[in-house]
Amino acid sequence: MESILEINQLVKQFDGKAVLKEVTFSVSPGEIIGYIGPNGAGKSTTVKIILGMLEKDGGSIKLFGEPIESKDASYKSRIGYVPENADLYETLTAREYLLFIGELYGMAEKDILKKSEEMMDALGIKDSLNSRLSSFSKGMRQKVLIISSLMHNPDILFWDEPLSGLDANSVQVIKELLWKLKKDGKTIFYSSHVMDTVEKLSDRILILNEGEVVADGPFEELKEEADGTLEQLFNTLTGFDQHGALAEQFLLAMKGEAGNDA
Amino acid sequence: MMRDVLGLKKSDKDPIYLRFIDLFSFIYTRLGINYPQMRSILSLKMTIDGRRDAPLPGMETGKKSDEEKNHFFSSLWVYTLISLFLLVLFAYDNWVFQYTLYFSFLFIMTLSTLIANFSGILLDTKDATLIGTKPVDRKTLGAAKSTHVGIYLVAFTLAIGLPVILFTFYFNGIVAGLLVLLLSFLASLWCLGLTLFVYATILKRFDGERLKNIIAYSQISLSIFMVIGYYLVGQIFQIIDPENLLVEINLSVGHVLLFPLWFVAPFGILQEGWSATYGLYSILLVVGTIFLALIYNWNSDRIESNLQKMDVSSVKQSRRGVIERLSARLLCFTPLETAYYHFGWQLTKTEREFKTRLYPSIASALVFPIVMTFNNLTGAQPGMETSPVQFLYLPYFTLFLVPVLAVSIQFSNHYKGSWVFSITPGQSRAPFLRAVTKAMLVKILIPLYGVLAIMVLFFTDLSYSLQMINGLLLVSLILYIETKRSVKSMPFTRKYSASDANLGCMGTVIFLIPVFIVSVIMIVSQLFIPFAEWGLLVLLTAFNIWWMRSGFESKEDKIKTK
Repeated sequence: MESILEINQLVKQFDGKAVLKEVTFSVSPGEIIGYIGPNGAGKSTTVKIILGMLEKDGGSIKLFGEPIESKDASYKSRIGYVPENADLYETLTAREYLLFIGELYGMAEKDILKKSEEMMDALGIKDSLNSRLSSFSKGMRQKVLIISSLMHNPDILFWDEPLSGLDANSVQVIKELLWKLKKDGKTIFYSSHVMDTVEKLSDRILILNEGEVVADGPFEELKEEADGTLEQLFNTLTGFDQHGALAEQFLLAMKGEAGNDA
Repeated sequence: MMRDVLGLKKSDKDPIYLRFIDLFSFIYTRLGINYPQMRSILSLKMTIDGRRDAPLPGMETGKKSDEEKNHFFSSLWVYTLISLFLLVLFAYDNWVFQYTLYFSFLFIMTLSTLIANFSGILLDTKDATLIGTKPVDRKTLGAAKSTHVGIYLVAFTLAIGLPVILFTFYFNGIVAGLLVLLLSFLASLWCLGLTLFVYATILKRFDGERLKNIIAYSQISLSIFMVIGYYLVGQIFQIIDPENLLVEINLSVGHVLLFPLWFVAPFGILQEGWSATYGLYSILLVVGTIFLALIYNWNSDRIESNLQKMDVSSVKQSRRGVIERLSARLLCFTPLETAYYHFGWQLTKTEREFKTRLYPSIASALVFPIVMTFNNLTGAQPGMETSPVQFLYLPYFTLFLVPVLAVSIQFSNHYKGSWVFSITPGQSRAPFLRAVTKAMLVKILIPLYGVLAIMVLFFTDLSYSLQMINGLLLVSLILYIETKRSVKSMPFTRKYSASDANLGCMGTVIFLIPVFIVSVIMIVSQLFIPFAEWGLLVLLTAFNIWWMRSGFESKEDKIKTK
């Protein structure tokens, strides 16, 4: 099957420091990809380059079979994006914000309003349709971002920490939604620090560490390399195994006893 | 076609700026911009500007009547009032003289407003995430941003130019009137084009922490060039017969780099007929306009993608320096105040918005006195000594910075962090305001005043040292009064938007009048009244000690203390 997304030798530098070092992978249509890595590994940078927010310094990216450089911005109408930070135009109401985003996708006003209302209802925030986003909790803002990434029925989703701030029930709803979207043939590129969720949801897991892909495959395959959970595998591959010692160090520092235990 | 986003279909209900921009939709389309999308983004931006944001959910945002009101446009009349002084130019029957001073004033006001108040909007990166990830090309997003700032700028320019434009129609005829209207409009677009050109070049060439520094240096450089340019323009004229208001103009090809003069040349042709200099300058105006438009068109999509570099933060050690520590120990009287002092000091180190607003004013406050000193030294007749009075007032230029400084400390990119104040042990605003005002005094005003005072002492003699100290005490006291007058919220707790660009302008104008009178009294009394400087030293020291100990306290605070 032809890949929907093909990344080859992708390089990005900031301030002379390599953030992405020849990252290479591809994604097939209908796959759920768990894209994980420690903070600063380069996950968000990858997505920002794909979405045209950042320029790459090397390598190539093909989306929907064509290099992204050769496309005009219209390819983005097939993408749904939830950014890491729920930064919104806060003085707008949810209705105004969704109407604006919908119109940027070229949707009709009537459709946008109908979909907004129905989707907000499904996520339990319909009553806040005409409230300003500044009055929304973190979870409510996240729901608005999720709605704005789906209202135009995209083919591929780039979701960066989509469950951030959501309550337990909403997390369940979004997980179910992801399954149903997959069944619908959508491709989902999913980034999270919640290993348990990534392990259960993803068809394939990509682990990025210091700008390099250190693991790529279904969880069943990857766990052969390190027995146990995805969290243990992640720790092994990113070279992090001092949780207990660091927690202890933190506690001692909090009590002002950090220098006394030696 | 895309409708207006907030339910207002393209109709008579559209705001005037949208209907005006619709007239030029063909230009946008020809430049490859998606006009309906651009219009929609613009409409949204203007709606957002008119609304106030609450730092925390449920927090009051001000009077209900303030909602949906764009304060920028409602305060423009102040600038019209200020520019009434330009009408004196119509006493001279020399159009080149009239319009040279007019366009120089217009450029200096518009460019400095643009750099200080709208750079933050031009360099904002939020849109790239929320709009740039949608099917909107960079050119369209860039055009929406430029048009957004352009609307404010044109309104600002026309407000400043209104008296001159109206009087031109009356005194110089319809053709000159239409020309000055058109060229005033063009001048504001030139300011925008020049600024975007500078930013685009810097964003293309640099990245990381260096990029942020160079942006700040470019703002300072632009301000310095403006002041020097204004000085050079002043050199072109000489009033040869004050009684008959006769002016001699030495306009030559050598002044070719002073681009505001290009806007004046068509008036020279209109009044005096064709000349090689006027012809050259008029051609340069046309060529320059085309060049700026082309440069904008080439760079507009690059600006948006390069802007993302601004969001990349590099690790930088931030330590409390010796001056910060010593001054905190000397000026802060409680641990809470000391903590706020360091907080204000450190926060303003990294606040892009704060620096953007302040740096151009710092540059002007420094360059104006230096240019004047140069003028005093070069303008003196051979054999004649310069008078100390020609220098003593120069450090008082620091006072022009005070209103901008006081207004600026209210805003922060990180205004949402203000929840931290609600969990601090003391709930009074006073220690925080006192601490931040002191931090700004030590960090910004004292170094600036110090440089100017040393310069004055160098060109006069050390016997004026006491006067310099008194001047500094006055600056400190005025900073307190101005902060108390203009800062209504806690420092760093408000979000900056385009509608805040003229914040407090009328108050500032009124404020500067008594400040000017007090400064003059200070200088004169110390020169002519025996021991006045010692008396003032005691008085000003007492006032300063008072505000540094118990300034900003409200009646409630005082009752609590009792």
